[in-house]
Amino acid sequence: MSSVLQNLVNKPYEHGFVTDIESDTAAKGLSEDTIRMISGKKKEPQWLLDFRLKAYQRWLTMTPPQWPNVKYPPIDFQAISYYSAPKAKKKLASMDEVDPELLKTFEKLGVPMNERAKLAGVAVDVIFDSVSVATTYKAKLAEVGIIFCSISEAVHEHPELIKKYLGSVVPIGDNFYAALNSAVFTDGSFCFIPKGVKCPMDLSTYFRINTEESGQFERTLIIAEDGASVSYLEGCTAPKFDTNQLHAAVVELVALDNADIKYSTVQNWYAGDENGVGGIYNFVTKRGLCKGINSRISWTQVETGSAITWKYPSCILRGENSVGEFYSVALTNHYQQADTGTKMIHLGKNTRSKIVAKGISAGHSNNSYRGLVRIAPSATGARNYSQCDSMLIGDQCGANTFPYIQVSNPGAKVEHEASTSKIGEDQLFYFAQRGIGGEEAVSMIINGFCKDVFQQLPMEFAVEATKLLGVKLEGSVG
Amino acid sequence: MIREDSKTLLEVRGLRATVNGIEILKGMDLTVKSGEVHAIMGPNGSGKSTFAKVLAGHPAYVVTGGTVLFEGKDLFVLAPEARARAGLFLGFQYPIEIPGVANSQFLRLAYNTVQTGRGRDELDPLEFDDFVREKMKLLEMNPDFLDRSVNEGFSGGEKKRNEILQMALLEPRVAILDETDSGLDIDALRIVAGGVNQLANKDNAVVLVTHYQRLLNYIEPDYVHVTEAGRIIKTGPKALALELESRGYDWLSEKPGAEHGAGAAA
Amino acid sequence: MMKVADNKFLADLLAGHVPADGGDALGRLRARAVERVGALTVPTTRDEDWRFTDLAPLTRISYQPVRAATALTAADIAPFVLTEAPARLVFVDGIYAPQLSTPASGAVLLSSLAAALPAQSALVENELGRMAAFENNAFTALNTAFVNDGALVLLARGATAAQPLHLLFIATQKEVAGYPRCLVVAAAGSSATVIEDYVALTPDAYLTNAVGEFVLADDARLNHVRVQRESAAGFHIGHTAVSIAHGSRYHGINIGFGARLSRHNVEVVQTAEGGECELGGLAMVDGSQLADTHTTIDHTKPHGASRQQHKCIVGGSARAVFNGRIVVRQGAQLTNSSQSSRNLLLSDRARIDTKPQLEIFADDVKCAHGATVGQLDADEVFYLKSRGLSEATARSLLTYAFGAEILRDIPVASLRQRLEQTVLARTEIA
Repeated sequence: MSSVLQNLVNKPYEHGFVTDIESDTAAKGLSEDTIRMISGKKKEPQWLLDFRLKAYQRWLTMTPPQWPNVKYPPIDFQAISYYSAPKAKKKLASMDEVDPELLKTFEKLGVPMNERAKLAGVAVDVIFDSVSVATTYKAKLAEVGIIFCSISEAVHEHPELIKKYLGSVVPIGDNFYAALNSAVFTDGSFCFIPKGVKCPMDLSTYFRINTEESGQFERTLIIAEDGASVSYLEGCTAPKFDTNQLHAAVVELVALDNADIKYSTVQNWYAGDENGVGGIYNFVTKRGLCKGINSRISWTQVETGSAITWKYPSCILRGENSVGEFYSVALTNHYQQADTGTKMIHLGKNTRSKIVAKGISAGHSNNSYRGLVRIAPSATGARNYSQCDSMLIGDQCGANTFPYIQVSNPGAKVEHEASTSKIGEDQLFYFAQRGIGGEEAVSMIINGFCKDVFQQLPMEFAVEATKLLGVKLEGSVG
Repeated sequence: MIREDSKTLLEVRGLRATVNGIEILKGMDLTVKSGEVHAIMGPNGSGKSTFAKVLAGHPAYVVTGGTVLFEGKDLFVLAPEARARAGLFLGFQYPIEIPGVANSQFLRLAYNTVQTGRGRDELDPLEFDDFVREKMKLLEMNPDFLDRSVNEGFSGGEKKRNEILQMALLEPRVAILDETDSGLDIDALRIVAGGVNQLANKDNAVVLVTHYQRLLNYIEPDYVHVTEAGRIIKTGPKALALELESRGYDWLSEKPGAEHGAGAAA
Repeated sequence: MMKVADNKFLADLLAGHVPADGGDALGRLRARAVERVGALTVPTTRDEDWRFTDLAPLTRISYQPVRAATALTAADIAPFVLTEAPARLVFVDGIYAPQLSTPASGAVLLSSLAAALPAQSALVENELGRMAAFENNAFTALNTAFVNDGALVLLARGATAAQPLHLLFIATQKEVAGYPRCLVVAAAGSSATVIEDYVALTPDAYLTNAVGEFVLADDARLNHVRVQRESAAGFHIGHTAVSIAHGSRYHGINIGFGARLSRHNVEVVQTAEGGECELGGLAMVDGSQLADTHTTIDHTKPHGASRQQHKCIVGGSARAVFNGRIVVRQGAQLTNSSQSSRNLLLSDRARIDTKPQLEIFADDVKCAHGATVGQLDADEVFYLKSRGLSEATARSLLTYAFGAEILRDIPVASLRQRLEQTVLARTEIA
């Protein structure tokens, strides 16, 4: 590897600081009592406690998935604290009352908690360890009937919606980590876009893990009623610790007739150091149900962080003519491991899906695309197009493509293409011979490689993602 | 054209270079002055493509001896991109494909980088678009190729035209065209050669690296050099190329030492 | 010593095993395999490698080793004889049939393994069981546990087999388990075409559990056509293991038309710089057939090239499974590999599961794969109809053309034509 390439992969993690704030952190360990404690702290109704306990019973019977192409020592689930929250002095009446230490933290991370901040136009729900600390623009959104709040709040304010939809897309026993989340989830975002409403601004949640031995188990639920549409963004960071933290989230999306949900993630959890010590285990279940006709769910993700990523944002295309999309850039460096992709389950007639996945591997990392396209016998006229490209930087990393294609309808059409490319000496020399230096050349090649995904991101995110990839690759190219 | 008042642009003396520890160039000598067209010919493996890459600074080659002055200054202290900015252009034998990077974007970045290096103003995308389309007419290129990825899926002819287009944009002092004629049909060859002829002027110079005489029917060289085993073993006028065409290269090497080391076209 | 498998199906199969006699190489190999069979179990759909293939229909039946070989006459096998391939070995239910065979000797040796063994014991000891690993494969272990004969092809250095060599395996008896075995060793610079052909003279259920090993030395060239046309009630489990060396070229064509349930594993390992591998595959199934093909092309050294095209035509309520792995190991720079999986579904109940996968650990490589599943192109059908063909004829012609693209590469004209006829006949029914 040339030195230009080398210099491009190794810039320090910018978000690795710890906020010194008094926390209410539960003792480590998981049992029915832990779950009752969490539920009690949140003053939850009995039906939700029952939901949790049922999930816990299911979880006890399950084992962690063995099939992903990632390696890690067994997780001791008794060594994790399942609840940690900054100590609130009193109930907050407005944003001005948020702990200044927290405000400072999110300011440093560039998250606009102040409604007058420069990124006005994005409503944010901020999750710090286990709890939502603030949600901006609630009042303004309420004017058009949109509910945007923490899920804990929604349990109390809108129990009928939570009862109806929680666990409806990702059942409690769906998989090991989803079952765990269903048992111990602490907070997350809830949003509900009523019939016919186009959400006037992007909604977003910013997740921050701060406490060393806590896990984060958030739960997000987004419902778009008939003809509604919303664009939702999610960002994540964590401090640098040399232990591994577990992040096991569940995200459920429901799109009714003609509804449109666009969900974008820029994931920059701490990835561990250059020797693979520390970092977040990001084991996430994200699934959207295109329940209504002509509905559309689009996932866009830029995955650059986490020691291990295990994540398959999926679409169940039940409504006729519904559309599922998945656009992904996954970058791994050092000793990071990613096994990520999507599932497109075609049930309805004339359903369509599109998958564009770009994997970039550098250092000693291992990057796998794993995707399922299933065409059920009922899905006449279904179409899928998948494109999975890998780029390798250096010869110590790996790039894998595991596309599962299952078709049970002769009227369906499925196409999958994959290729590999590289940034090598000859490419860089060609740029140099035209006067273009190494870093600029690499950034141009990477952005060109990821173009189809970046153009799906909202503008601010696209800029951030481009910068992030540059930072992450610093030192690895050349 | 050989001129009285010309300046020396490139002066190569005793250049030696290795790749993977194997010596390929074993003492190349060449002097190129403004306004001149040189052709370097020779059998496969005689070092002519290596010579072109070493001048441009390809990282796989190690210079082990000799000097190269570019407009009087040491070329080897410059990084490859600095050589390009200083006005040394290499037309690649195998232009590299860069998926995802639009040709227009690449051309503009290259153009603006080189312009900035020369203390001139950059062009914004709209100005550049007008400018590049003008240059493309010269090479009879289809405008839609600006939107395609750099060289990706280009035919051999399109790739070579793209190289000459870049030469037209970057206005080098010395352009080394490495087997620009290979893989071209006669129409493409005519267009590419026409482009080179229009770009050649009294202030710059062109070095054609070629295996066949065919290109020289279209671009008339002032000097023809013959390489063998990493050295220029003979230099002559254009007629030498025709002689090589009819007699091959063997007759030259059958007379070892006859013209060795006397290859400078001074 | 015999160890009984805890898995009843394997144990029952092994019950017919004749213990190895003495301590010769073959005996030791058999003993190791018997031990492995004892330790392994029949795979289930919980195993990632068998996710789509449920072996229940196979394991419901119990099979016996063949007791008395069926005596076949030249007339019986006439339909299978290839005029271009005078040198031929015939095995009936896995047992060598010398009266039907025409072995060859010399630089191109074609012989039963048992007959060649005294002279070739060192070679057989080195090569047999080397490429076809049975540590984690119950069926290969089972085949190896029964190995006492088989087909042997030895190509001497620089030898060229002027005519194709035909290995014909015929199943004739109900509920019998046969264990065909092939070993092909091609020395440096040799070349040959080998036809490995599985056919049936019984409509009943039986099990063919076949293993073939193909070892190519530097610059050897091998065309290998493997045809599986078992009976509609038969079961076929096959394992083809290939190693290619510097400058050698292996071209495998795998045709699967028969069997109620078939599974074929193909493993090609490039062991030196610059080997080349081309794999073509056609599985055409209908009714309630299941055809499962798993291939791995493993590039372990630089400058390797591989090209693969696998096609499935699935009608009725049949199922086809394709799992194609391309592995490029660390250091296998400048590998150039392409793979395509093309699938045609002809009916509402047909199903295809395909998984073309790339595992790449080297950065300077060119790898691409693609998969498509669909039906016949509507424009093409329309085009033919506009030229006066009926809908049915247009469809059958296009389906035939889809499959014929793979058959076209078969270098033995009479075999190719026969297989083309089969495809044509089947498309007309569909």
